[in-house]
Amino acid sequence: MHTRRLLSLAATYAVLVIAAVLTLAPFALSVITALKTPHQFVQDGPLALPVPGTLENFTRLFTTAEGGFVTPIVVTVQMVLVILAGQMVFSVLAAYAFALLRFPGRDLLFWVYVATLMVPQVVVVVPLYLMMSEAGMRNTFWALVLPFVLGSPYAIFLLRENFRGMSTELLDAMRLDGAGTLRLLWSLVIPLNRPIIVTLVLITVVTHWNSFMWPLVITSGPTWQTVTVATSGLQSQYSSNWTLVMAATTLAMLPLIILFMVFQRQITRSIGAGTLR
Amino acid sequence: MHSGTEGEEEEERERDARVVGGPDLRLVLLAPRHTGRMRPRSPLVAYLLLAPSLIGVTAFLLLPVAIAFVVSLFRWDLIGTRQFVGLQNYADLLTGGALLNSLWVTALFTVIAVPCSLALGLLLATQLVRAVPGSSIVRVIVVIPWVCAPLALGVVWKWIFQPSTGALNALLGVRVEWLTSPLLALPAVAFVAIWQQVGYVSLFFQAGLARIPDSIYEAARIDGASSLQRLRHMTIPLLRPTTFFLAVTQVVASFQVFDMVYALTGGGPSHRTEVIASLIYNQAFDSFSVGKASAVAVILFLLLVVVTVLQQRYFGRRITYDMS
Repeated sequence: MHTRRLLSLAATYAVLVIAAVLTLAPFALSVITALKTPHQFVQDGPLALPVPGTLENFTRLFTTAEGGFVTPIVVTVQMVLVILAGQMVFSVLAAYAFALLRFPGRDLLFWVYVATLMVPQVVVVVPLYLMMSEAGMRNTFWALVLPFVLGSPYAIFLLRENFRGMSTELLDAMRLDGAGTLRLLWSLVIPLNRPIIVTLVLITVVTHWNSFMWPLVITSGPTWQTVTVATSGLQSQYSSNWTLVMAATTLAMLPLIILFMVFQRQITRSIGAGTLR
Repeated sequence: MHSGTEGEEEEERERDARVVGGPDLRLVLLAPRHTGRMRPRSPLVAYLLLAPSLIGVTAFLLLPVAIAFVVSLFRWDLIGTRQFVGLQNYADLLTGGALLNSLWVTALFTVIAVPCSLALGLLLATQLVRAVPGSSIVRVIVVIPWVCAPLALGVVWKWIFQPSTGALNALLGVRVEWLTSPLLALPAVAFVAIWQQVGYVSLFFQAGLARIPDSIYEAARIDGASSLQRLRHMTIPLLRPTTFFLAVTQVVASFQVFDMVYALTGGGPSHRTEVIASLIYNQAFDSFSVGKASAVAVILFLLLVVVTVLQQRYFGRRITYDMS
């Protein structure tokens, strides 16, 4: 009995260690490569440690025109912030209306919103491109953010579920007190639903920092490139300079890995609980 | 909205002071003081609150779907004039090889990636919920790939798979053309997708396992059921709602995969990894056949609607069955 327990414990640790190593290996390998000079990379082979390490690839990305990673980072941060602000504000307003107000056509409208959850990005990307071209907005900042900034049906759906779970007594009491809609939202609805809102903020940041297809299609040239588009462009332009490319992928992934580490409890819990897909 | 900020602040402080007593007291004390009267709420407020998102949903989701349907009836190269061709694009797609190829590729990708990430996710979850010392850090590590851009991960793996400069061949001491071999390219792409999804999938299974009461296992153990028997006859059946949810969402997601394929292979070699989304992109922005690309998009959309409706029906029946 004792040996069987030990064996099963060993099996568990084997699975966990293999999972951790397999997960981390590609990240470790890319960072190792990013810290090498192209010469070291060719000379010592892809698995050798970077001795001595160099930040040459990173400085090249930040200083020379060929790297040009500063603009993409600025563009991506701006894009994410604008989309985040718009989506949160407009989604909260809409969810409030759906959850707590009564008006003609509410259920039909909500059904339409839910139905749009079935529309995938790949289906609308060509029509959106045609629309933006027609409007003369191709390769502009607004083309990057406009399709997403007015709220997300998914966020509205989740928020509505949560808003409906609130006690109406408290709301009614505040309404009786003469509080207006915005006041109610700001001082009661939002504070009471902080966990789901924080989760949605994180998900929105992750989704749009990582988004690729739409920025790829709607931007051209370096002015409005996002980090993902710049990474992809760098890879096809310098297809054999892997040390530079791995520095780029490291920069593309690091901010979100840090964000995830800070908020991992919040994120993993909400995913497991089924609040997220 | 914020007239008399000072007064409001004071009110707020007062209220905070009173809230200390707990929620019940709060309700009592929040009750009307200055003979509060319910304001007549016109639907106008609701429509005003909905206006921005309604414009967004209409202009950037509903309208594009409609445009896709319309454009799919035209022959159009983005520069020249549009020419109405009826259902010709659909006919061309169904008789030509590209659409059938990409449907086949997508199906194959799904059939490899979804069962593997579910099985491995379940295996990982069963070990993680044992909560042995150190497992909490592994729980976090395995989710990291899920927060990273699929494009960036694709680029990293493209390097790892390189025949002469890549890490994998150096590690194995071989020289395999992973991404350019017609046979290996799709499994390699699917492998990366599985690698990215396993940790995320395991989160759902961990939550599902946590909901199974320990007493059930105790009873089985007393009855002498082996751990394999317990897995087969108890854990897996009890996890069915979770498994079903994951299967559906993963299938729907894998029908839309693009970024990773774009980074790894771009659809090659000779269309062997050209999934539906890659076909749409290549038709529209490489061949400039916007009409044809839209027709593919419409077909994908209809396919996903069918999948979703079917799963809703199935779910509707299953959930009640499983909960009983």
